Amino acid sequence: MSAAPAGASPDGRAAPRARRTALARRDPTVVLATLLVVSLLLLVPVDPWTPLTLLVLTVAAARAAAVPWSTLARGLASFGPFALSVLAVNLVTRPGAPVARVAGLTVTDVGVLVGTGLALRTVLVGTLAVVVAASLDPVRLVASLHRHARLGARGAAALLAAHRVLEQLPARWVAVRQAQAARLPGPRPTRAGALPTSPDLLVRAAFTLLVVTLRQAQQMAVTLETRGVGSGPRTVHRPARLGAGDAVLAAVAVGTTVVVGAVLWRLGLLETWASVGG
Amino acid sequence: MSARDAAPADVDAPVVDVRTRRGLTLSELVLLTVLAAVFGFLYWALVQAWGALQLAMGPFGDLAQHVLVGGWMVVAPLALYIVRKPGVGAVVELAAALVEVAFLASPVGPMLLVVGLVQGAGAELAFTLTRYRRYGWWVFVLSGVTAAVASTLLGMVRSGWHLQDLFALRVALQLVSGVVLCGLLARVLGDALVRTGVLDETALGRAWRARVARDAAAPARATGAAGDGAPA
Amino acid sequence: MIEVGGLRVRWPHADDDVLAGTDLDVRPGEHVLVLGASGSGKSTLLRTLAGVVPQQVDAQTWGRVQVAGRRVLAPSGPGRPSVPTTTTAHLARDVGTLTQDPWAQLCLPTVTDEVASGLEHRGVPAAEIDARVREALRAVGAAHLADRRTATLSGGEGQRVALAAVLAARPRVLLLDEPTALLDPAGAAGVARALQAAGGPDRTTLLVEHRLDEHDGAGPGGTGGLPERVVVLGARGRVVADGPTADVLGDAGGHLAALGTWLPWAAELAASGARRLADVEAAPVPSRGTPGPALLEARGLVVHRGGRRVLDGVSLAVRAGRVTAVVGLNGSGKSSLLLALAGLLPADGVVRGGRAALVLQRPEQQLLARTVRDEVAWGPRRAGARDAEARADAALARYGLTAVAGADPFRLSGGQQRRLALASVTVCDHEVVLADEPTFGQDRATWRSCAVSLRGLADEGRGVVLVTHDVRLVAEVADDVLVLRDGRALAHGPVEAVLRSGVLAGAGLPLPPAVRAALADGRGAAGVLAGVAAATVRAGAPAGVGP
Repeated sequence: MSAAPAGASPDGRAAPRARRTALARRDPTVVLATLLVVSLLLLVPVDPWTPLTLLVLTVAAARAAAVPWSTLARGLASFGPFALSVLAVNLVTRPGAPVARVAGLTVTDVGVLVGTGLALRTVLVGTLAVVVAASLDPVRLVASLHRHARLGARGAAALLAAHRVLEQLPARWVAVRQAQAARLPGPRPTRAGALPTSPDLLVRAAFTLLVVTLRQAQQMAVTLETRGVGSGPRTVHRPARLGAGDAVLAAVAVGTTVVVGAVLWRLGLLETWASVGG
Repeated sequence: MSARDAAPADVDAPVVDVRTRRGLTLSELVLLTVLAAVFGFLYWALVQAWGALQLAMGPFGDLAQHVLVGGWMVVAPLALYIVRKPGVGAVVELAAALVEVAFLASPVGPMLLVVGLVQGAGAELAFTLTRYRRYGWWVFVLSGVTAAVASTLLGMVRSGWHLQDLFALRVALQLVSGVVLCGLLARVLGDALVRTGVLDETALGRAWRARVARDAAAPARATGAAGDGAPA
Repeated sequence: MIEVGGLRVRWPHADDDVLAGTDLDVRPGEHVLVLGASGSGKSTLLRTLAGVVPQQVDAQTWGRVQVAGRRVLAPSGPGRPSVPTTTTAHLARDVGTLTQDPWAQLCLPTVTDEVASGLEHRGVPAAEIDARVREALRAVGAAHLADRRTATLSGGEGQRVALAAVLAARPRVLLLDEPTALLDPAGAAGVARALQAAGGPDRTTLLVEHRLDEHDGAGPGGTGGLPERVVVLGARGRVVADGPTADVLGDAGGHLAALGTWLPWAAELAASGARRLADVEAAPVPSRGTPGPALLEARGLVVHRGGRRVLDGVSLAVRAGRVTAVVGLNGSGKSSLLLALAGLLPADGVVRGGRAALVLQRPEQQLLARTVRDEVAWGPRRAGARDAEARADAALARYGLTAVAGADPFRLSGGQQRRLALASVTVCDHEVVLADEPTFGQDRATWRSCAVSLRGLADEGRGVVLVTHDVRLVAEVADDVLVLRDGRALAHGPVEAVLRSGVLAGAGLPLPPAVRAALADGRGAAGVLAGVAAATVRAGAPAGVGP
């Protein structure tokens, strides 16, 4: 039981990884739109303090909403390289007062400030995306898009079919690579389970994956037609309704971002492209 | 030769073909969303590779995105090549970005939706200019160029590339990557896919089958290539 | 309820019709079984009735089709081609369709959503949906699956959920296109039972199916479960026999067997011209002598997947000239054993021997090249063999693929793809061939050629391992059997001894009637079954209705 895959209980019940967090009860369209607005607002500050404060608040809120540490850690780990790269390039490409020399390149004070700021912003936006992705229920998202974003019945059905395909992609990718590895001539692989990683074989595997998936798509489209998709006005079994909670979520998220920015500005810590002369 | 003449005794209504519908069919919608899902997945994998390349390139890591940028736009011209209807390039690129953000938690965040829309629209511009009628190699080259230009303009707005060093190098890398990894790759991929038969019920598949049939009918040209992918 | 008159269907740019004048009338409440050889157009007929051809699949059509009082296809003018007059989606309000592949029919993340979606799209009031979803799931024996994610279902469960999604809309007509072809025996029996329950007097069903024993066995008292009427399609979709099931299977049984269709065992025996099995001449089974050297040996294999121990201490020796069958239901660990033997899964324990070739259940996943010829030559070229091209040509000829050598391998039919997989394996000098469900979903003719090829690979001195739940295949070609359940070996030994021991039933695989009868005969099951097959083909060949 200990090693059951994340998101599904050991007996494979539909467990609603999505129903575990408080965020999952909110309307998915509102959640996505709020995320978009917040990350647009985050384009303004370039200092490290704003994203750092918001990152701390995000992690605290996520924990309060029962998002597991493992989800957060996985997010942080995958954004590490990006953050480091953003930091590295900004350290040495921004004009400003030199503070150090590394391998013939000049590190400037503006570079340190902006680089740390942008790196932290990457981590913050990534963490927000991970928290949201972990609480999105695809069926509710599509039902909500259908109701609030004028997505048609056929478009909604197509999106859900694509979600099924996406769900199967990782397993299918492994299956195709195993199947193709079995075609290799020569001695047994030295390490059992090691799949070949030559670019040639990876490209062939990707192509086969694409063909197999497109064939499945065509069959799914026929299935949807024979289930009456688009044959007239449809009903919705689990309707998406906007509630007060959705307004609170949007107001709190956007409000917090603005307030943090305003406070730091009063403290003289907020920097923008204009103030750093970038 | 009205339909009424042909109406059988058991039915009175005139015979009307229900296939004539404008807009996208359900099959096309599923095809496009599945393309978006697969390419969203591949793009996400490319983002992981990008991270590695960035680290490997050290302080010049920021340039890695220009080398790879075309790869993130390839689904737009591919979708247009297959479906041949206005808007599908921009929409499928946007949907691929949605998959990356909402389901795979891309580190780029929701701004990726804007990026996807702009890049998709950029790639589509070449096909709009040819009124969705021409699918020769040069249209795909043009598509790569327009996609790269759109992506560069967005980079100037978002990250102030024109204010940084190496702007000319960035633009050159973007153009080369756009033409090769977006435009030309889409055409090559489409041609390989249509041979497999999975696109038979699409605009590309119909065009291809008609060409194969024409080639087979013309004995002078009936070489290996003609019989080649004929349905077995 | 279904009226088809002078229906002709032709694929775009094809020279011949796939259906060349099909006529069929089905009364309300009738249940009809459609039989015919591969390529006789059974599937095309069903898809035309559903509106899929020519709406979702391009085709030229002539003639008239009416289903459930709706005009589906009608001529656009006198002597002119026909056009579709009702959209597939509208037709779906009265017509339910179930096809082979559960994975192409599950389009939503959870079982309840899946069954509910068909109702939503048909505009059923939201307040009624819950009750109807529960009712439909109960009707197919899947009430306990309501909360499951579709991704976690087995094939049999998935197919029953897909059937529930179809039945929830209460269709008046049910079109069933080989609904059990891709299932293991337990799954197939479950679906057959559910279909039995679904076909009442208020519903008209049209069933295309190979696995007749399972449907027969789903009837009350374990027999009589087949539809009451059989329609046999000859070449290009012409109806060559039509009537009550017992009569048609009796009269045209030999002809059907010669066409390559499966028959229920009793009909198959009758078709061989023998009254009793003892009258059938057993085919000679060549003596296979003493087992050759072990080419691949596994000892104490343990495999973990997804935190579960799927293989638990299994040992197996693959010997030259022998066919070893590994049998068990889905989830018994047999596919993991095969992958571990091929070195493609990390496993604890010892595997010793050369590289083994692997032919998988879905051969299209193994394709690497853009033409059939390159596909076959890929292995030898990669190995740097100097005679790669000559070897590829020989293999193409041997497996009957020369005519399609220039085609894209993805374009081949399922049977051709399987032959291609075998061809691309045999051109490489692998001493061991591992095959996963090599006879999955095939008609009798393809099944037999596949069985012959597999036996041939062993007779040439290779070691062959078959992973299968096709007990008849095991009885005909295997020398040894390893029975798996829950990752452990239940039995391992010579084929007849294991089949007689009753251990298969314990593993969830009851013996099919043909195998039970052949074992009881006492002359060697393999020889007896091959004898019946040969006799049916001899008896059926001259019956001049054929192509």
